[in-house]
Amino acid sequence: MGCGRVGAELAKRLLSDGHHVTVVDLNQASFDRLGSDFAGEMVHGNALDEEVLRRAGIESADALCTVTPGDNRNLMIAQMAKDIFMVARVITRIYDPIREQVYHELGLETYCSTTIGAGIIYDFFTTGTNRAHSEPTGTKATA
Amino acid sequence: MQRARRYVLVIGGGKVGYFLARHLLERDYEVTVVEKDPTRAANIEHDLGPASVMRGDGDEMAFLATTGIERADVVVGATGDDEDNLVACQLAKRKFNVPRTIARVNNPNNVKLFRALGIDAPVSATELLMGLIESELSGSELVRGIAVKASGANLVDVALPELSSLVGKRVDQINLPDGEMLVCIVRGGRPVIPLPDLVVDRGDELIIYSQTLDVESVRESVSH
Repeated sequence: MGCGRVGAELAKRLLSDGHHVTVVDLNQASFDRLGSDFAGEMVHGNALDEEVLRRAGIESADALCTVTPGDNRNLMIAQMAKDIFMVARVITRIYDPIREQVYHELGLETYCSTTIGAGIIYDFFTTGTNRAHSEPTGTKATA
Repeated sequence: MQRARRYVLVIGGGKVGYFLARHLLERDYEVTVVEKDPTRAANIEHDLGPASVMRGDGDEMAFLATTGIERADVVVGATGDDEDNLVACQLAKRKFNVPRTIARVNNPNNVKLFRALGIDAPVSATELLMGLIESELSGSELVRGIAVKASGANLVDVALPELSSLVGKRVDQINLPDGEMLVCIVRGGRPVIPLPDLVVDRGDELIIYSQTLDVESVRESVSH
């Protein structure tokens, strides 16, 4: 859900790993980020709308990730996916660290890109290591 | 014993939030409106006084904590965005233990979802408005349903069609399905109590209590 920089990058990686990937975005132009050779599915619509989620195949999805620019939008989509459509794995990106903490405690799988980003820069300043580029490229995510 | 003034925190100072706050202030509630847009916040401050508005993001936890939310009796999510109302109410309930949360629901399809996600009272203005407008449209068979709180029960207003088989029947001869009850007859614009020997007349409107949300089926049951 959300075809910004993160959503597009993630979709391309998962697709090249052989997964069936559908990307949903409010704005048709966002799909340009996927490149013209993208072989996944693109659904243009509001992911807060159950009909759009159905159209995107949520009923048969194994996992869903929400990376729209709105924390609340992500939280609402995630709860719809989990509680209505019973998607097995739902991952939610949240910018606000405190809100992330609250929903994490409530059982959502969340991550806060603010905290993670700040942590990387902090490490760079305090230890001189650049965690953003310390791993060999091409490492496969196992999540 | 005198009851303490109830404290209502209203998230969102658009038209709904503003008029709600004004109304509640007139009824002696203590009210704070949270509004992030500076112009809107300034307008509310001008109209309702500086104590009634705080400028900030109603979903930002750090800011919410400064609004006295933990002593609020009710939090109302009144913005035009369902996701913002949902999250504001969930934070209020789960993080600040606010006893009652009311969310404005803009997309009527979200009413059920909000209830499932812990909102005490999701209120769909769109749904109410659609019902009211529908009932004002000319035509004899229009039905309006009014949800009775969050109970799942409805009051349904049925204008009897000309050819309804109920016309000429006594109230005690009307067989409604289980879970439905005739509670009032509106005749010539006035409510009439449906005593057993009252005869249903052409042009009557029946107000029916129904335990289901299926307004159409109520109409079906009396329209033939």
